[in-house]
Amino acid sequence: MNSAPRAKRIIYNTLLSLILILWFFPFIWMVFTSLKIENEVVTKVFHFFPQNPTLANYIKAFSSSKILRWMLNSAFTSAMAMILTLIVDAPIAYAFAKIRFRGRNLLFWTVMAGMMVPFQVLIIPLYLQFNSYGLINTMSAVYLPRIALPIGIFIMKQFFEGIPDALEEAAFIDGATRFRIFSSIILPLGKTAFATVTILSFINCWNDFLWPLIVMNDTDKYTITVGIANFQGTHGTQYSLIMSGAVIACIPQFIFYLFFRKKIIAGIAMTGIKG
Amino acid sequence: MIPGNKDNRDGWLFSIPFLLVFVLFMLFPLVYGLVISFFRWNILSDKVFIGFQNYVNLFADEKFYTSLWHTVEFVLITTPVLLVLGFLMALVTTSKSPLRKVAENVFFIPYIFSMTVVSTLWAWLFQKQYGLLNKVAGLFGIQPIGWLTDPNWAMWSVCIATFWWTAGFNMILMSAGIKQISSEIYESAKIDGANYPQCVFRITIPLLKPTIVLCLILQIIASFNVFGQVYVMTGGGPFGKTRTIIQYIYETGFSYFKMGYSAAMSYILFLIIMIVSVIQYISLGRKSDE
Amino acid sequence: MKSLKRIAVVLLVLCCMTSLFAQGAAEAKTSGPRIVTFWSLFTGGDGEFFDAIINEFNKTHTDIQLKNDTVKFDDYYTKLTAALAAGNAPDMIVCHQGNLLNYVSSGQLLALDEYLKANNFPVNDFVAAPLDACRFDGKQYAIPLDVHPIIMYVNTDLLAQAGIKDIPQTMDDLIAAGMKVAEKTGKMGIDIDNTTAVYKAYTLTRLFFSFIYQQGGTFLTADNKAANFNNEYGYKALQALQDMVQKYKTTPAGLDYDTAMNEFKLGDAAFYFNGVWATGTLEQQAGLNFVAIPIPGFMGKPAAWSGSHTLAIPAKANIDPEHVKDILTAIEFITGHGEMWAKAGHVPTRISVQNSKAFADLPYRKGYADSAASAVAPPTTAAWDEIYGTCSDLLEYAVVNGQQVQEALDLMEKTVNKIIASY
Repeated sequence: MNSAPRAKRIIYNTLLSLILILWFFPFIWMVFTSLKIENEVVTKVFHFFPQNPTLANYIKAFSSSKILRWMLNSAFTSAMAMILTLIVDAPIAYAFAKIRFRGRNLLFWTVMAGMMVPFQVLIIPLYLQFNSYGLINTMSAVYLPRIALPIGIFIMKQFFEGIPDALEEAAFIDGATRFRIFSSIILPLGKTAFATVTILSFINCWNDFLWPLIVMNDTDKYTITVGIANFQGTHGTQYSLIMSGAVIACIPQFIFYLFFRKKIIAGIAMTGIKG
Repeated sequence: MIPGNKDNRDGWLFSIPFLLVFVLFMLFPLVYGLVISFFRWNILSDKVFIGFQNYVNLFADEKFYTSLWHTVEFVLITTPVLLVLGFLMALVTTSKSPLRKVAENVFFIPYIFSMTVVSTLWAWLFQKQYGLLNKVAGLFGIQPIGWLTDPNWAMWSVCIATFWWTAGFNMILMSAGIKQISSEIYESAKIDGANYPQCVFRITIPLLKPTIVLCLILQIIASFNVFGQVYVMTGGGPFGKTRTIIQYIYETGFSYFKMGYSAAMSYILFLIIMIVSVIQYISLGRKSDE
Repeated sequence: MKSLKRIAVVLLVLCCMTSLFAQGAAEAKTSGPRIVTFWSLFTGGDGEFFDAIINEFNKTHTDIQLKNDTVKFDDYYTKLTAALAAGNAPDMIVCHQGNLLNYVSSGQLLALDEYLKANNFPVNDFVAAPLDACRFDGKQYAIPLDVHPIIMYVNTDLLAQAGIKDIPQTMDDLIAAGMKVAEKTGKMGIDIDNTTAVYKAYTLTRLFFSFIYQQGGTFLTADNKAANFNNEYGYKALQALQDMVQKYKTTPAGLDYDTAMNEFKLGDAAFYFNGVWATGTLEQQAGLNFVAIPIPGFMGKPAAWSGSHTLAIPAKANIDPEHVKDILTAIEFITGHGEMWAKAGHVPTRISVQNSKAFADLPYRKGYADSAASAVAPPTTAAWDEIYGTCSDLLEYAVVNGQQVQEALDLMEKTVNKIIASY
């Protein structure tokens, strides 16, 4: 009676482990490739493991580029994006969730429609606009267009709707203002939602490519995604070098993930609840 | 309900910071883009007003249609697969398997990495002569497949990379939905003698419907905007077989500097996405209300 | 897990500190010499050789410092055009000769003549053809840095193995030699990329272009207002390229740029066609014996598609002649160190460099230095980039799928004329 389900479970878990290994495998291959010399990568003979593991690609990546500088730029712009996203998006999300004001629905759908705009449409007008403000080639140009994050508003709105009205009503009766309620009741309760939104906006800004490329002129001011794109040669791909760049670019995000794993997952999950 | 109701004032007051940003960095460029779409303009010379000529031209442009079709093809392939994949993954992560935590991490991690990293990595795995996939296939005596260069494979290869990259996002959404379902329902079903597939099809899927609808809408919008991974992996090739509409918009705008034409195409795309979303919202929303 | 996080924090903090420190050091240096900012599009191997010239300049000049920012080729013109439109361009730019017209016609580049004269710029030391290609309406708008024609690379070991003594001079000979190599050695005969992957299959387009000029034809009409390849020249050129893949199978279908390069590099292909820039990579491969020569006149007289990198100065209101002088000093230095640039494979444009010992001592380069004489620059029209990209797609389709040659040419002609009309 008991052995059949157990056998099933073992088969299931073995299969699952196999799938997981396969799913994770591209990362392993990325690291292996980055540890090989190019002649071992582009060859008819197939070696799975690096035959003579070398850090040469990494040394080249660090010495021939400003990769640390770029990482810092990415970290700074992404951090700014996430802070500002919160400051700007949380109040309106609260308004959508809890305040019945005239024009709310129309406004909400307008904001959501913003999600559907292909960013390519905006680039040239935005560029000219930023130029007239004198913001080209400044860090703020990278993160400013990223702080209006409709999905972030959506997540926070979902979360705020879950906070019982009774809490607010009690405060109202005590004579608290909206702002008071927002800052003393809603904000402390919303931590999980805020964490998610900051993380989404961080990932969003960190991974951005075309906009920072166009808007930043000095090599010193590139973000990491723009910088490592230059590893692609003008006339030919050097896979081992490109993979080492990819590994380097992945490390900060990986660390970030280690830290905030639970929050990221909990937060994205929140989007779906009551969806 | 609340004494001294100032909801109208407060509502807008709370919206002001966002609206400022929204108007400045979204609405204004959007309107400006619309204006541009009525001009012939290479951004270096003066604008020439040509009315609806750009729109007229694009409806006669074969490349516009084929590119649009490639995008639709991508949407049609990736949307169902990503939903099913996400759902299966969610079943794994909400199961009692000891591997569920590991699985959650492994499935989700690709999502946090940038498009550039994911696409270059997969372009390398798919490389015809020296890529891992064909090397492994070669061990079994299979002739090298032109994953990215064979017109029959290229779009699928891009889709495979996309599955790997983004399925984790849907998984998280769906597993959250599944966790919301009360375990009592499953227990009583088990007492009635329901087996696992029956539980999944009779209980999980119907109760998960709101989440699935949300996933579907988000997924379709994301898939319609596909550009980066295709551009990096195939460059739109072979012979334009995988050129998506955003790539065409990008090329006309940023390589050939036909700003007006590019803007006009963007607007048509925007309109299509909007219509598809509204139709979805209305039809699916109504059904789930029943 | 906990300790892992702690390590991660320490790493992050360290990263931040080193970067801040690096920035501080850089800022301390900026006061003093006059800065010339400058954008280039050289990455990979090209980038390394180019940076070497820049470093050499900065080392030998205390009063002027070059500050070079590199953008990957694919995105370079997007960024440059946006910057020019917004008046944000740097002091000096690298620009392909074929792209100059767009910027000249919209008044974005500085006419150099008076400055060249005032600063005694050694105009006479330049090879005439590439220099003239930078003249528009009688004014000099740019100074050529190099010429980079497409050439033929031949694996001499494979030829010896196949028993081929002479390098083929006609199309029939080339095909026969390619087939012989395939038969005797099992390696690829003719190595021409025909499918887009990371890079577009431009070699195909470049050869189609070259073969038309070899027969005495042109790609566009003289006024650049219409396609001019839908004739016997175009037919013969496309037929030959298609036959290599479809009829004689000396070239596999689905060959992309990177693979084509690697096949030759690993000694698995006999005749390889690519720009001179491949030399820099190929010569680093141990055990590869090859020659690099101008493409023979397979279809008549020698002629080969060729590009040219040029250096230009964006026009700005109230530009300071002293500043222009600094920029010209830099241009003179960079072009004058063509032998350093020739390491990347490109053909220098200064006569003194071409005759220098340093250049003569570089292997392979002398073998194709003459190719500049038969180089054909692309037509100067604003529509060229789109024509080039679109034709590349169509040619790729025609060659890989064995489309009827006449049908392919008709379609291409129609498409090209439509593109020209849209500008």
